[in-house]
Amino acid sequence: MRVLKPFDYFEPGTVKEAAQFLTTHGGKAQVLAGGIDLIPRMRIGKKEADYLVNIRKIPGLETIEASGANGLKFGAMATLHSLEASKAIQDDYPILYKAIHQISSVQAKNMGTAVGNICVATPASDVATALFALGAELTIEGVDGERKESIQKFCVDYGRTSLKENEIVTEVFLPRPPAGTGSAFMNLIRTHADIAKVSIAVAITVRDGVCEKVRIAVGAAAPTVFRAIKTEAALKGQKVTHEAINEAAETAAGETKPITDLRSTAEYRREMTGVLARRAMEKALQQVKA
Amino acid sequence: MKKEIASFKVNDRAHEVLITPNMTLSELLREHLGLTGTKNACGAGECGSCTVLVDGKPILSCSTLAIAVQDKEILCIEGLSRGPELHSLQEAFIDAGAIQCGFCTPGMIMTAKAMLEGNPNPTRDQVKEGLGGNICRCTGYVKIIDAVMGAADTLSKGGK
Ligand SMILES: Cc1cc2nc3c(=O)[nH]c(=O)nc-3n(C[C@H](O)[C@H](O)[C@H](O)COP(=O)(O)OP(=O)(O)OC[C@H]3O[C@@H](n4cnc5c(N)ncnc54)[C@H](O)[C@@H]3O)c2cc1C
Repeated sequence: MRVLKPFDYFEPGTVKEAAQFLTTHGGKAQVLAGGIDLIPRMRIGKKEADYLVNIRKIPGLETIEASGANGLKFGAMATLHSLEASKAIQDDYPILYKAIHQISSVQAKNMGTAVGNICVATPASDVATALFALGAELTIEGVDGERKESIQKFCVDYGRTSLKENEIVTEVFLPRPPAGTGSAFMNLIRTHADIAKVSIAVAITVRDGVCEKVRIAVGAAAPTVFRAIKTEAALKGQKVTHEAINEAAETAAGETKPITDLRSTAEYRREMTGVLARRAMEKALQQVKA
Repeated sequence: MKKEIASFKVNDRAHEVLITPNMTLSELLREHLGLTGTKNACGAGECGSCTVLVDGKPILSCSTLAIAVQDKEILCIEGLSRGPELHSLQEAFIDAGAIQCGFCTPGMIMTAKAMLEGNPNPTRDQVKEGLGGNICRCTGYVKIIDAVMGAADTLSKGGK
């Protein structure tokens, strides 16, 4: 097996220290979290770094904290396993739980972080798809202080985020879904260990049979995970009838920009986005009724 | 690249090794400590054959830097037996014929060990789910699951 190219290693004690180090070394330094994406990429030469900045010793980054009526926040070093095991996430953000639970590798969940997953910015991320539908907001810190950004703005393009070379994502905030919200996560996958052909996450809030609020997130069907905003706009304020759902599913399929690759053709991805979106909306609505 | 002497605790024994930051945990085990039971295969986190336990949790040693696990308890396949006496999981793999080429076996056993500690009496489906990150390319999964079920039985009756 190929040996990793030489690099130097730093374990900062604070976010400030990490940001300063990243500033000093420009694009030559990379943040290391769980390493399950970064290390294999470095091994095959797809990523290069003269310095790795391991953020594991920065206090507080591992926490998962439910703050009652407001929502829930978790830190950059919260592993997928710890998020999956969190009772608060299982109860109040079940689509995040499902997106993580369907990952077949126990080892990947013990090592990998949700923040690392989003920073990779792959369109086929199930975890990001769930986080889009939950309206996740990120806290990003650099030497000049912190900024907040929605996950949609953060995921700029295929493999590209809004992060500057010297910035670190420190925290993810999930607003608490309002009463009357149902949600569903689904993906289409050949075998569990493979990457999804399409993933869908839906969160819909209904009052008196009318859609008050909805987020529909689609993964693996465009250069980034994306929110089907036309579909969302068309549903909002509408009665959630069968016809409305069927029409919305078709609109969602039309919002994709899929590619053909070894897992699927573009055409199939588009079709299946419609099918999964319909099923996910139906499932979410059943939860509202229950 | 900086070289440093680092201390590791592997299979309950302390070691001091001259390392560089780019050394992975699997390289440390195999090439510097002579513990070649842990296998390197895909190098991409997909196959699980490099699985060892760090602080009791299964992780991928091919994607873990040695420098980052200096303060941790590392357990690999060589740490399971007591002298010539094999661990129940090792016995069960032999008894069930769960070893074909044997390349995935150390990783399977380490993952299974952690799983059985968390869930001493799993169902077959739970065993399948628990081993989801370990691939057997001889496709001998049925016997591997038989072995883990057998070991669970032995261990719950007080075996080691
Ligand atoms: C076997 C396997 C199965 C998988 N299955 C799935 C699946 O089914 N669904 C799914 O969605 N994903 C899946 N994944 C992807 C996995 O979730 C991600 O690779 C993992 O979570 C990345 O996190 P990490 O902490 O290891 O990141 P690292 O590898 O440490 O980092 C990845 C990138 O993010 C940057 N980074 C990390 N943290 C920060 C931070 N706080 N601030 C700024 N930059 C940062 C790093 O610099 C690097 O560029 C799978 C991965 C494996 C190996």
